[in-house]
Amino acid sequence: MNGVKNVAKRYSRELTIFAVLILIILIFTMQEPRYIEVGNLLDILEQATINGFLAIGVTFAIITGGIDLSVGSVMALSIVACGQLAVMGLPPIAVLAIGLVLGIFLGALNGLLITKMKLQPFIATLGTNSVLRGMAYLVTGGWPVLNIPKGYRNLFQVQIFHNIRLYMVYLIIAAIILSLILKRTSTGVYIYAVGSNEEATRLSGINVDRFKICAYIFCGAMAAMAGMVTLAKLGTGEPTAGQGYELNAVAAAAIGGASLAGGKGSILGTMIGALTLSALKVGLVVIGMDTFYQYIATGLIIIIAAYFEIIQGKIAAVIFMRKR
Amino acid sequence: MGEEIAIQFDHMSKYYPGVKALQDVSFSIRRGEVHALLGENGAGKSTLLNILHGVDSADGGNILIMGKKTQFLNTNDALRAGIAKVHQEIHLVDQLTVGQNIALGFEIKKGPAIDFKAMYRKTDAILTSLGCNFGSTDFITNLSVGEMQMIIIAKALYHDTHIISFDEPTASLSSAETDRLFQTIQMLKSKGITMLYVSHKLDEVFMLADRASILRDGKYIRTCDVAETTKAELIKNMVGRDVSSYAVRMQPSFAGEEVVLEVEKLCGKGFSDISFKLHKGEILGFSGLVGAKRTDVVHALFGADQAYSGSIKLFDKQMKIRSTKDGLKSGIGLLSENRKTQGFVPGFNNCDNMALAALPKFCKGTVVNEGKKKQNFEHYAQQVSLNIRNPEHLTKNLSGGNQQKVILAKWLTSDVKVLIFDEPTKGVDVGTKSEIYRLMEEFISTGRSIILVSSEMQEIIGMCDRAIVMKNGRITATLPKADLNEETILSYAMEGKKS
Repeated sequence: MNGVKNVAKRYSRELTIFAVLILIILIFTMQEPRYIEVGNLLDILEQATINGFLAIGVTFAIITGGIDLSVGSVMALSIVACGQLAVMGLPPIAVLAIGLVLGIFLGALNGLLITKMKLQPFIATLGTNSVLRGMAYLVTGGWPVLNIPKGYRNLFQVQIFHNIRLYMVYLIIAAIILSLILKRTSTGVYIYAVGSNEEATRLSGINVDRFKICAYIFCGAMAAMAGMVTLAKLGTGEPTAGQGYELNAVAAAAIGGASLAGGKGSILGTMIGALTLSALKVGLVVIGMDTFYQYIATGLIIIIAAYFEIIQGKIAAVIFMRKR
Repeated sequence: MGEEIAIQFDHMSKYYPGVKALQDVSFSIRRGEVHALLGENGAGKSTLLNILHGVDSADGGNILIMGKKTQFLNTNDALRAGIAKVHQEIHLVDQLTVGQNIALGFEIKKGPAIDFKAMYRKTDAILTSLGCNFGSTDFITNLSVGEMQMIIIAKALYHDTHIISFDEPTASLSSAETDRLFQTIQMLKSKGITMLYVSHKLDEVFMLADRASILRDGKYIRTCDVAETTKAELIKNMVGRDVSSYAVRMQPSFAGEEVVLEVEKLCGKGFSDISFKLHKGEILGFSGLVGAKRTDVVHALFGADQAYSGSIKLFDKQMKIRSTKDGLKSGIGLLSENRKTQGFVPGFNNCDNMALAALPKFCKGTVVNEGKKKQNFEHYAQQVSLNIRNPEHLTKNLSGGNQQKVILAKWLTSDVKVLIFDEPTKGVDVGTKSEIYRLMEEFISTGRSIILVSSEMQEIIGMCDRAIVMKNGRITATLPKADLNEETILSYAMEGKKS
C-alpha cells in the first residue's frame, strides 16, 4: 500500500495529466462514439508523433532552465539536407546517421552559444531559429526537394500492423532511451541539478556547461529525427516545414509538468502532454467543430495545466489539515 | 506606564504539511520595549513574524494590536497600520534612487505623477534623523550593506510606524555597521517605538533587549526580563537541555607536521599575495572583517573563481585548479556561505543532495545505482544525526541547521582531503552549532584538514589550531593558537598591525 502511495506521489503530475487525457477522450466519445474506435485512437497517436519527437527534446532544454526555440528550423534543415542526400542515392541508414549528426551538431551549437557566450537561451535560440530557417531555404533555393526514394521512406513508413508505422516505434524507443538517461544516469541527475540550482551544482564540483550542452544536443538530435520522419511521411522536403512547431513542443512539455524555471519535467509527462494536444485536435475534427476552436482549446489546456501545478500544493495542504 | 500592551499573541497555531509550526502560542509585548524573540531554527519565530506582518495567515488564534483584534492581508496592509519589518536579506531595487526605494509603493503623488520634491523632502528628513551621510537622490549601487540596512529602516519609518520587527538584522553586517545599527535601535526606542528582535546572537540580545520570549518546536516556553537572566539559562530554554560552551575543541589537536596544502603568492579578484601552509589534521582559521575578501580566496582555492596568478600545491604536487571540477578532483571541497543559493539543489531530496558531488561513486558506467545511493544516505544521515531520516524528504523543507548537515554529508561522501567551511554556522541554531563543531573534529581526526572562514570570533578562537587574519585582500597576520584572542585578531583585522 505504501509502495502504491509513493508511486502515486512521485508521478502525481503525470497521473493528473493522464486523467485529463482520459477525460478529454470520454467527453469526445460521448459526443461521437466513433472517437473511441481503435483506428481513431491510433490516429491520435500518429498525429502526436512529430510533436512528440520535438517535445521530448525540448523537455531536456527546459529542465536545465532554458528553452529551445530553434527546433522547428533544425527540423526544416534536416528535412532539406536529408532529402537531398536521399535523392542523391545515399543508403537510407547513412542518411539517418548523417541527419542525427546534423541535429547533434546544431544542438551543440545552441549549447555553446548559451554556455560559452553566456547568451540567454531564449535569445540564443531565437537567433539560431532564424539563421537555420534561412539556411534551409538556401540549401534548396527555396524549392521543395521532390521524389524522395521509396527505400528511405520505408525505413520510417513500413506498417507493422493496422496503422502502426515504424516511426511511431522509433518515437517510443527514443522516449524510453531519453527517459532512462534522464532518470537513471548521472547525466540526467546533473541536468535536473543544473536546472534546479546551477550555482549549487557548480559548487559541488560539477562542470555545468558540459551538461547544459548535452541537453541541447539531445534536443537537436530529436528535432532532426522529427524532420527525417516528416520527410518520409510526406515524400517531399519543404524548407517551410516546422514553422511554429517549437511552441507546440513547449506546450506539450509544459502540460506534462515541465517548469520553465527549470529542474522539473519528465519524458513521460511530455509524451502524455503531446498525446493530450493531439487528442484534442483530432476530437474537434471528429465532432466537426471549426479548427479555429482548436487554438482556443489548446491555449486553455496549457493555462489550466499550469494553474493546476500552482494549486496542487494548496490542495495538499488542505487535505493534510483535515487529517489532523 | 510601560505596562501597556502593544502586541498580544493569543493562542496562535499554524500548520504546514508535516510540521506544526506554532502550537497554542500566547504572550504579549509591551509598548515601547525591545522584545527579543529567541529559539532554534524551526522553533517558529519566522512563522510568528510572518503572521504578524500579513505574509501568512494563522490556522488558529488571534493577534491583538493595541488591544484590537487584527489580521493583515499582506505586508502593505500591515505597513499602513504602522507595522514594519526589517528583513535578514536586503531587497532593494538597484535602478532606483535611495528616496524612491524608501517610498516604493507609497509614492507621494501630484495628480498621476510622482511629486519627487515632496517625496525627497520627506525621505531626506528620515535619513537625517537616522544620521545617514547619504541623500535621497543617491543610487543604491554605491552603498555598503550597512547603509542599505539603514534604507530598510528608513523605509519602515516612512510610514507612521509604531512597531518594527527585526529578523537577524546583523547577519551580513560588519561589527562597525552593527554598532551603528544598535545606536539606531536605541534611538528608535527613545521615540517610543515597539521593537521585536529576532537573533541567534545572544550578546546582541543582552545589549539591546528589555525582555526575551523563547519558542521551541513551535511552542511558547517562557518570557523573561533580560536583566534577570543569564546566557546559559536562555540557551537551556531554547535547546531544552544543557549545552556545554560550544565553540570549544573537545579533543586534543590532531595537527601534524606534514604539509597538505601549500599556497604561494596567490592573486585574484580583490586579493593578492596570499601565501600559507595547511597541515595534516589542522583547522586553519581565516578571520577578518566583512569585505576582507576571505570568501574570494577560498573560492579561488576550490576553483569556483579563477586566480590570476600564484601556485597551489597539494601533497607537494603542483595543481592547476581552473574549475570546481578541478578542485573536487584535487580533493578540495567547499561548504559555501550561502546555503540556499549555493549549498543544495532545492528540487532534490536529501539522498540526491548528499550524493551530488560524488555521483560517479554510485554509478556503473553512467547508470546510477539507487540502492548504493540510499545506503550512503543512511550511513551519513546517522553520522551527522539528521533529524529526518526519510531519504525522499526535500532538503529545502529542512530547517537551516539540518540543511547544513546535508551539505556537510555531501562533502563527507565525496572523500575530500581538505574541506573549506565558509561561515558554517551562519544562521544556525545553538544546538546544531555544537553538532557541527563535533563533526569538524571528527573530520580532522582521520588526518584530513579544514580551512575555517568565520566572522564569529568565538569560533576562530575556540576551534582553530592557527588562524590567518586578512584585511583588504591581504594577509596581515598568521597567528598561532597561543595568540588567538579577540584583541589581537581585531587589531590585525582592523589596523593590519598589533596595536
